[in-house]
Amino acid sequence: MLRVTNLKAAYGKIEALHGISFHVEKGEIVTLIGANGAGKSTTLKALMRLPPPESPVVTGGDIAFDGVSLLGMPAHCVVSDLRMTLAPEGRRIFGNLTVMENLQLASWSRQDGQDGGMEEAIRRIFDLFPRLAERARQRSDTLSGGEQQMLAIGRALMTQCAVLLLDEPSMGLAPVVMYDMFRTLKRLNAEGLTIIVVEQNARLALTLADRGYVLDTGEIVAEGPAQALLNTPQIKAAYLGG
Amino acid sequence: MDFFLQQCVNALQWGSFYALIALGYTLVYGVLRLINFAHGDVFMVGAYLAFFISTGLLAPEGLFGFSRELTLMLTIPLTMIFTSLVGVTLERVAYRPLMRKGAHRLYVVITALMCGLVLENGNLALLGASRRTLPELVDKTIYNIGGIAVTSLKLWVVLTAILVFIALHFIVTRTRMGMAMRAVSWDKFALPLMGIPLDRVIVFTFALGSAIAGLGGLLFAMSYPVLEPYMGAMTGWKAFIAAVVGGIGEIRGAFVGGFLLAFVEVMVVAFLPSTFRDLFAFSILLFILWQRPTGIFGKPLTTKI
Repeated sequence: MLRVTNLKAAYGKIEALHGISFHVEKGEIVTLIGANGAGKSTTLKALMRLPPPESPVVTGGDIAFDGVSLLGMPAHCVVSDLRMTLAPEGRRIFGNLTVMENLQLASWSRQDGQDGGMEEAIRRIFDLFPRLAERARQRSDTLSGGEQQMLAIGRALMTQCAVLLLDEPSMGLAPVVMYDMFRTLKRLNAEGLTIIVVEQNARLALTLADRGYVLDTGEIVAEGPAQALLNTPQIKAAYLGG
Repeated sequence: MDFFLQQCVNALQWGSFYALIALGYTLVYGVLRLINFAHGDVFMVGAYLAFFISTGLLAPEGLFGFSRELTLMLTIPLTMIFTSLVGVTLERVAYRPLMRKGAHRLYVVITALMCGLVLENGNLALLGASRRTLPELVDKTIYNIGGIAVTSLKLWVVLTAILVFIALHFIVTRTRMGMAMRAVSWDKFALPLMGIPLDRVIVFTFALGSAIAGLGGLLFAMSYPVLEPYMGAMTGWKAFIAAVVGGIGEIRGAFVGGFLLAFVEVMVVAFLPSTFRDLFAFSILLFILWQRPTGIFGKPLTTKI
């Protein structure tokens, strides 16, 4: 479904990805793990075609979605035409909008927007995250960290995405909330959502994922089924705390 | 007492002009955190467009020879459309390329100042220094309300400003595009991730602000029918200050700030020598800002990055 070949990306003159290759198939959960600054977030932002300076410029290689390169596309077209979106690091919800408005806004490019698709999708998201329903009329910057992450994921789902990229979804969450969310992600995946998740919490990510890639300073240094990576001694030592 | 009330009527009219211009400043600032210093000159261009459109349409000299009523009915939307095109062109040609390259906001603001000068002097070069006079499009009916003279035009000006304010408030709080504008003002980064083209939201913001300035230009030219290329400079500056005093980025602020400035100005002139006007007006505004640096309705902004 998604095939990245020899991708190079840079912020200004500084190259952050030195030619990475990986692929994601429909219905999979794939994780990218690695230390701080390994290029995980950079990879997701490059996939989304977000504009610089906050996101990198692709300087080489290709990203193909269903066999077609998406490099010529602006970010909003990746969302509206390819139905792939990102729940970014730090959540980046619109704090001056209410929970409901955040969800409504994200339905901008839905194809079923005219025939009640938005209302149906909001009901589904409130079903997944009942806490959001309770807070629907509240300004979203008053939500707790866990609730904000739910909103970030809910908002991404409102775009009717088939591929969801998640950047550090567990960041700053209490363990209980975190496990809850990963269960929800598993459920969404079972319903057909393809997920690419970037995590510092490598053990958690590998437990959730089907396959994983290990990034180190802009290069992929290991890959394989998640279970196998969990049991590789070097990876255990370097990323899973021994 | 009559004198005071008469001055109040004048202040309401001037406040309407300031408010109509201030709303454009505050819209663009609210969404992009950019002070569009060319905005006062967009107002001037609006007045000139109103002049060319109305003289072009009106009988007997105009090409079309329309009646005054029909001319006014057509001049309003046409002025707003063409003025919004001017604002959108500025964004497209001057600001967007800079912001794309990640230029610091300061350079965009300086560019805006230069764009304003280009509009003023372009107008001067193109049309010469001779002043233009807008044809009279409405009869000046004078109503006498309890001893106070109010022209119908003044009523229309004030009513228009109020309607524009209500419409703008509705757009920003109730429509999907308004929601997107508020979202951009919070965080531009995440907007494309919702499948929304950021550029379209920005263009809409400039178009809206400029259309309102165009409408202000038309009403101003109808009230004070002598047009000259620098008419937007001082009025634009004052409207900008009104927007800041009201709390820039806040629609209510621009509206209230505009009327506040006009009241101060008119009252100073009413009771003191007219040369004191700007000195007093701006000293009072300075005092308000000193007490409330974020303006009357403004909230302190946490700067990111």
